[in-house]
Amino acid sequence: MKKTPFALLITLGLLHTPLSALAATAPLDLVGPVSDYKIYVTEQLDLLADNTQQFTDAVKKGDLAAAKKLYAPTRVHYESIEPIAELFSDLDASIDSRVDDHEQGVKAPDFTGFHRIEYSLFSENSTQGLNELADGLSKDVQDLQKRVAGLTFPPEKVVGGAASLMEEVAATKISGEEDRYSHTDLYDFQGNVDGAKKIFDLFRSQIQQSDQAFAAKVDKNFATVDRILAKYRTQDGGFETYDKIKDNDRKALIGPVNTLAEDLSTLRGKLGLN
Amino acid sequence: MPTPASVTPPRAMRWAVAGSVIVMIAAGALFYYASQLAAAKRKAHSSEITVTIHPHSCEPDSLSVPAGVNSFRIVNASERAVEWEILDGVLVVEERENIAPGLSQVINATLAPGDYAITCGLLSNPRGTLHVTPTAQSQASAKARPSLVAFIGPLSEFRVYLNSQGNALITAVDALSQAIATGDLAQARALYLPAREAYQRLAPAAQRLAELDNAINARADYFEKREQDPGFGGFHRIEYGLFSQSSTQGLGVFAQQLHANAVLLKQQLLAQSLPPGQLVSIVARTLHNLADTRAGSGEEERYSHIDLSGFAANLQTTRKVVDLLRPLLAKNNAELLQRIDTASTALEAELNSFKTPQGYITYDTVSDLRRQAISNKAKALADALDGIDPALGL
Repeated sequence: MKKTPFALLITLGLLHTPLSALAATAPLDLVGPVSDYKIYVTEQLDLLADNTQQFTDAVKKGDLAAAKKLYAPTRVHYESIEPIAELFSDLDASIDSRVDDHEQGVKAPDFTGFHRIEYSLFSENSTQGLNELADGLSKDVQDLQKRVAGLTFPPEKVVGGAASLMEEVAATKISGEEDRYSHTDLYDFQGNVDGAKKIFDLFRSQIQQSDQAFAAKVDKNFATVDRILAKYRTQDGGFETYDKIKDNDRKALIGPVNTLAEDLSTLRGKLGLN
Repeated sequence: MPTPASVTPPRAMRWAVAGSVIVMIAAGALFYYASQLAAAKRKAHSSEITVTIHPHSCEPDSLSVPAGVNSFRIVNASERAVEWEILDGVLVVEERENIAPGLSQVINATLAPGDYAITCGLLSNPRGTLHVTPTAQSQASAKARPSLVAFIGPLSEFRVYLNSQGNALITAVDALSQAIATGDLAQARALYLPAREAYQRLAPAAQRLAELDNAINARADYFEKREQDPGFGGFHRIEYGLFSQSSTQGLGVFAQQLHANAVLLKQQLLAQSLPPGQLVSIVARTLHNLADTRAGSGEEERYSHIDLSGFAANLQTTRKVVDLLRPLLAKNNAELLQRIDTASTALEAELNSFKTPQGYITYDTVSDLRRQAISNKAKALADALDGIDPALGL
């Protein structure tokens, strides 16, 4: 034995250093994915604006059944792009604030947007007195479209958005708190997950370059979440109400959702954006 | 039965034992070093700023911190889950959602000097203020050349612009092509203009793709037999047919080719990566070219004379680029930015002076003197733009 075990150990240790530590993403490689993300957000916003128009038209016409049906599929486009939408704090409050954000609850004059309308439609079973709220929502969504068009997306917000979407799922969707009157949380859930997965997919090749195993793990967890959610799909492509979700499925979602939130929170660092 | 003590360990074993002792000592030393390092890091974080959220207010509700990385510990002393945000105007700089009642969370934010607002729980609660003071380091970094990371945003946004303008070009060429297919000369003439405007917005970037750009935009001068040359195609071949020969006859095949090439152009523009140093130089080149030849000669649209709308479209893309770099330039060389804005306003005013309610007048009615004025203003802007790359260290 010529080599000392010490030298051998050191050599082994060096060999064990993950190569990922040495491979850094070149900043300009992120231009493609960041711009593709803006294109995705723009498309989602176009859908949001179109659907919101139909939704608010139904509300104003007093067509309660149609309005109830359109509520969740409309919102989903907001949920998928929340990392960008919620950068505009005033619009996020007027479009998507929940009753808890307001001291005077449902009576608060500044409680507007989706959840205020949801309250009337699903809790009071009525479209009465919603005209102004419907117009306001339409206007706010159009305003959001304009502002997003003029916004240069901060790359760290784009990349960080994947984790914040999954954190949102962990914090507000697993408990079934967001759509408390309509119980259509699974739409929002899927919207958040799709939005997070989109971001991950756009940066996939940069991530795989540095950490193949990480990418595989994230994929596996996304697949688990999607598989459980798919059980609750309805014939028309929608979702069952949240109270239908079985306890074992709810529990089975907690692990992958939290792991995704945690894993995706390392993306900024992995892509050199911290 | 021999006692174990009487057996001499083999030589290799003695080496191994010695080796593991050394490894253990080394590991111990490393552990000590790492824990010291971690302690030092914790110490750096101990300068956390605590903000307590009460049911109706924050405490403190007015903060002043130095620029750079700051850690805020948000303590939720209210009865509801709250979110905490740092706002620059209406824009969220940093936020943490769903801080549960009775718990606290830490937010690390990298802040540039300036005045921000902080949210304090319920939407109706008064907001607090956050004043970020400059430091020697923040002032130095404001003057330093921006890192490559700073160009990701502007370059991404320019790629998005190429995507939307590419779509606009395809749509406009499609409409033109349909008018030609139905033999509607008046309609085809009218639709040539918006299609050219869409192209002229892309022209600075399209010019990097030499061959494809020639197929789309080459003038008759570049072909041996000029208008009669079988290789002459693209926009100007169609323009020649519509405006010089006053007919849509035989233009269908050129329109179809142009449509296919417009689709290809969009694809290739999105596939090309544009280095930061080229973002400005491509628009500067287009404006220099405008100043040096196109303004004086009116050669570009020699059959339709719609040159002015093309110049305006070039200027729009130039402004887009300047706006994308505006935050970097404002920090780095505000005086240059001022000069660029002045020059671009002057060129726009000059072009606007040819506008009528029906659009721009045709270029054949613009005198040499006034063409010279356009050229001078385009040159002033192009020269100012040339200052950007050196100012940003590109």
